[in-house]
Amino acid sequence: MTTARSRLLFLAFLMALFALGAAAALAARAATPKHGGSITIARIEDSQSFDKTNVFQNESIWLAEQIMEPLYTVTPDGKHVKPWLATSYKVSNGGKTYTFKLRPGVKFSNGKTMTSADVKFSIDDARVQSKGWGYLDAAIKNITAPNPSTVVFNLKYQWAPFLADIALFANGIIPNKFNGESRASFYKHPIGTGPFMWDKRVVGQSVTFKRNPLYWQKGKPYLDSVTWKFVTDENTRELQLRGNQIQVDEFPPFNSISKLQNTPGVTMTLFPSTRTDYLDMNEKYPPLADRHVRRAISYAVDRQAIVKSVLFGHGKPANSFLPPQVPFYDPEAGGLQYDISKAKAEMAKSKYPKGFKATLLVGAGAQVEAAMGQILQNSLKQIGIDVTFKQEDTSTEFQDIQKQNYQLGFSYWTMDIADPDELVTFAVDIKGGGAHSFFTEYNNPTVVSLSHQAQRETNPVKRAQLYNKLQRIAAGDAFLGFLYYSPFRYAYSSKLHGFFVYPLGNYHLEDAWLG
Amino acid sequence: MSLTGYIARRLLHLVPVALGVTILCFFLIHLVPGDPARTILGNQATDQRVALLRHTWGLDRPLPVQYEKFLARIAHGDLGTSLFYNVSAGHLVLERLPVTLWLIAFGTLLSVAIAVPLALTAATHRDKPSDHAVRAVPLVGLGFPPFWIGIVLLLVFGLHLGRLFPVGGYGSGFFGHVHSMFLPALTVAFAISPILIRSLRASLLEVFESDYITTARSKGLPERRVLAHHALRNAVVSTVTVLGVNVGYLVGGTLVIEAVYALPGLGQLMINAINQRDFPVVQAVTLAFAVMVVLVYLLTDVAHALLDPRVRFD
Repeated sequence: MTTARSRLLFLAFLMALFALGAAAALAARAATPKHGGSITIARIEDSQSFDKTNVFQNESIWLAEQIMEPLYTVTPDGKHVKPWLATSYKVSNGGKTYTFKLRPGVKFSNGKTMTSADVKFSIDDARVQSKGWGYLDAAIKNITAPNPSTVVFNLKYQWAPFLADIALFANGIIPNKFNGESRASFYKHPIGTGPFMWDKRVVGQSVTFKRNPLYWQKGKPYLDSVTWKFVTDENTRELQLRGNQIQVDEFPPFNSISKLQNTPGVTMTLFPSTRTDYLDMNEKYPPLADRHVRRAISYAVDRQAIVKSVLFGHGKPANSFLPPQVPFYDPEAGGLQYDISKAKAEMAKSKYPKGFKATLLVGAGAQVEAAMGQILQNSLKQIGIDVTFKQEDTSTEFQDIQKQNYQLGFSYWTMDIADPDELVTFAVDIKGGGAHSFFTEYNNPTVVSLSHQAQRETNPVKRAQLYNKLQRIAAGDAFLGFLYYSPFRYAYSSKLHGFFVYPLGNYHLEDAWLG
Repeated sequence: MSLTGYIARRLLHLVPVALGVTILCFFLIHLVPGDPARTILGNQATDQRVALLRHTWGLDRPLPVQYEKFLARIAHGDLGTSLFYNVSAGHLVLERLPVTLWLIAFGTLLSVAIAVPLALTAATHRDKPSDHAVRAVPLVGLGFPPFWIGIVLLLVFGLHLGRLFPVGGYGSGFFGHVHSMFLPALTVAFAISPILIRSLRASLLEVFESDYITTARSKGLPERRVLAHHALRNAVVSTVTVLGVNVGYLVGGTLVIEAVYALPGLGQLMINAINQRDFPVVQAVTLAFAVMVVLVYLLTDVAHALLDPRVRFD
């Protein structure tokens, strides 16, 4: 009896072991990337240009990055950089000289080996583009290439964001002298060291890249090709995903997220992003130049209501003008949160205790803005601010905000580099950023000075202290209404693995594969 | 006047019409607020960078100077360069034209294929249940917006029912186009055929009262022959005009259907160009639409004259 039971137990143990082994084998199989297959990514905008040095559109930049790679690249958390086409760097000359060692054996997709001459040419070309991203390379004095595997950057002054700037897509490496072509011709079918290479483009419809067989990461990429298609209608993109005509639906609307999360065969992922949405308050309109009024408005914004009813819960209220995925973000920045009694108290202290009238610019057809506008209108009514909407098509709205031809309006920002400097300069440095402090005319000399100090401070601890102080003062001044942080939304086929979107919005498709 | 002479004269009329449309369009698009340089530069658009880009594109010059250059280009057959894509606007239009032409032609064909038998059934069964049923079609067909009908068709025939048709796209090759364009064309037919049914039914009923129909019947001609050779040929004359007007209207109204079915046609190009303030492309597409509408009306008049010999080409 005992023996029989023991045998039974042993058998059960063996079966369990077998089941575990089988499950482990299956899991391992599922996790082992496979080569082959192609995917199609459908998005709401078409790519404008692949001239990485002059294009500002994400739908162009994220594609260009699949072909042209920088010396260093952003880490998956969006807060640091890691070696990419360079393997290391050394700093000398009091922080004004950076010497990079290039990764050996890296080839362009045309078979030529990447050398320091290519790096020098690429970044020299990028930094002189006055209509493009050249302004971010303004600290570079000159670049030398002492030998084929070494590049030396001499800076005009100590520049803390230098590595983050070098990792910018605009500083991606291309063959020396545009591979013998003209600039315009080269960027119609660019060549790089990236996982994919140019295949074809039908302007206004689609762009296709194919696998680069010479890619320096051995065995990658896994996919044979990737096509980006321009599908304007969000319902059509969703139906095409469900019908397997596309494998990735970029930015499905917030109200369809829950449905997609429960759709068989579809993976709906909300990737943490650097997107931050703001309420712009133009200080050229006298009431909004009053700090108490701006604080009152910031207190009166019911961010939770916005997140709940506009983002359907897929976001969180913002507490700083910097998003959490940016280095030196201060969780204790103290951005004002909804408190109607404090809002009333601030209004009472202002020059406008009885309130005033204001116009809110709203994009025609922009559902999110219209819904936020309604919430805002109701909240501000309680503190005596009578808000009326001015509807404009989104292009005109965008222009009016930038020309400061508005009183209240909406805007947003996504980061391009893993450093706060770009956004901080743009948002608070009224002269340095060239954008009149995010088109608000905000001017606090202490904040501007902190921003300049942080640019030159290479000690991370001290830099963090400067940025913390800056964020807290800016939050207290309520120069913008910090509204919410929202994720990057991607719905994709459950057969697609390794698809990961970075907080800056880019993705490394060399890791993606079809199961 | 001969048919050839008539067509040549009408085609000559195209020149002032197209020129007028283009001139109107040039000034209207520049009246609309919105700056392409700011649109393209995005968040990072500082005044200096905007000014530089505007200068590169010549947008900082006075409007009359821009207009003069625009006319000079048109005279050389150059519709300008897209500000967004930096490629020829004319090339973009020619690339998209086949998609829109397919949609219009296929949609018209399906509309006729649906309308003629239904109108005949209704007219020959006046005030009977089948007539009432057909007369309800326009109410239903006109009551639903094309984008809704498009989405429902995609859901039913693209996702369910064995995925009979692709969910959007233009397809490749002749049969690929037929397959991909069937649902968009059907959506067009849903919008146009109700009007055709109503018009053709009314004309048929009027024709049925004519003496020549009574004569044909009294001569013992089979009913099928009476309908096809005598009634329909005469009744269809006014319906051709109705069809022409609606197809002309459809030329400029394809954008919703193109958006729902992800068709890379002129309508989509137009909408995006307007959003991006891509002036040369807006002008080029407007010109293409104007030419198409004029040609549709010309074809309508020619068809009208061929069907009714009483109509003279003068």
